[in-house]
Amino acid sequence: MAVLGAAFAFAANQVSPLGLAPTRDYFPAGTASPARPAVAGTNSGAVTPAQFLAEQMKEKGLQLLEDGKAAQLFRDPRFKQDIIVFIDARDEEHYQQGHIPGAYEFDPYRPEKYFDTVLPLCQKAEQIVVYCNGGDCDDSESAAILLRDVGIPNQKLFVFGGGITKWTTDNLPVETGARNSGNLRKPNP
Amino acid sequence: MNTDQTSWSRVAVNIASVLARWLLGAVFLYMGLSKALDPVDFLKLLRQYDLTQSSLLLNSLAATLPWFEVFCGLLLLLGVAVRGTALTLMAMLVPFTGLVLHRALLLQAALAIPFCAVKFDCGCGNGTEFICRKLSENLLLFALSAALLAGRGHQFSLRFSLIKPPASKPAVN
Repeated sequence: MAVLGAAFAFAANQVSPLGLAPTRDYFPAGTASPARPAVAGTNSGAVTPAQFLAEQMKEKGLQLLEDGKAAQLFRDPRFKQDIIVFIDARDEEHYQQGHIPGAYEFDPYRPEKYFDTVLPLCQKAEQIVVYCNGGDCDDSESAAILLRDVGIPNQKLFVFGGGITKWTTDNLPVETGARNSGNLRKPNP
Repeated sequence: MNTDQTSWSRVAVNIASVLARWLLGAVFLYMGLSKALDPVDFLKLLRQYDLTQSSLLLNSLAATLPWFEVFCGLLLLLGVAVRGTALTLMAMLVPFTGLVLHRALLLQAALAIPFCAVKFDCGCGNGTEFICRKLSENLLLFALSAALLAGRGHQFSLRFSLIKPPASKPAVN
């Protein structure tokens, strides 16, 4: 029974277009995110979540975007010319639900689908901002590492740790549907 | 009168057993498909259990487990190898429930909240759920599997036992 079931399962995974590749490293950013540290202020030795995140990025050789810098880069005229590029490292469903206007979709678990669009852009860009949901999400780190592994210089890559959660909390515009769909969810007045 | 009551209760038990088999099959089919259709999400959830550091093992588990559940669900719905399937499900439910319980206890300790207030997506296929509800569900699934293992639910089965027991030899004078 178990052998038959296992054979069926392996075959189904092979046939399914959504199937996983057993030999691929889906988490180049490393092990699962450990529990966040104690909130600063509860004791003198505690580190803030931001410090903890910065330390994690440093260990992985990645650069964390400073607070408020994402919005600044978004308003930079070079963003319109694709000299500054925003990469959304979430899956298609979340991207469609709302992303930073003009951001390119790049799901690190299905990179082959996006390489053709994203790679030439990243090669030309001077600064690349990668983000996901924020919080415990490490898909932006995975995406940045993937891009680095395919030859995008590390000094161009910046991880926006707060992600879309911080973006929406900061009341910045969000685009729904496809890139440049024009469907903007206006910030609250 | 007594014979009538006995036969009616037997019919009721048989109907309940078949419904239980179909219910169990449908639940596993649904849970398996919901994971198989989003294997990356399941992989991410599975990774949170820290089961292994080997990506090959983790990927293989995430790739095959949902389809294995689909397979078991289909067998139960069709009524093929029911007892073997029930035994396999019981063997799967015990360690998985243990893992979910362990994770819930860790979360409870970290969040300092009552046990039944712990709510998370265990990767079981139903999304975010309260732990007490999840444990009750698993207990019910285990009980239904046990009933099938005991030989219930053989009506409307294509082939209840995959391997037919040897026919008893005719008496020799």
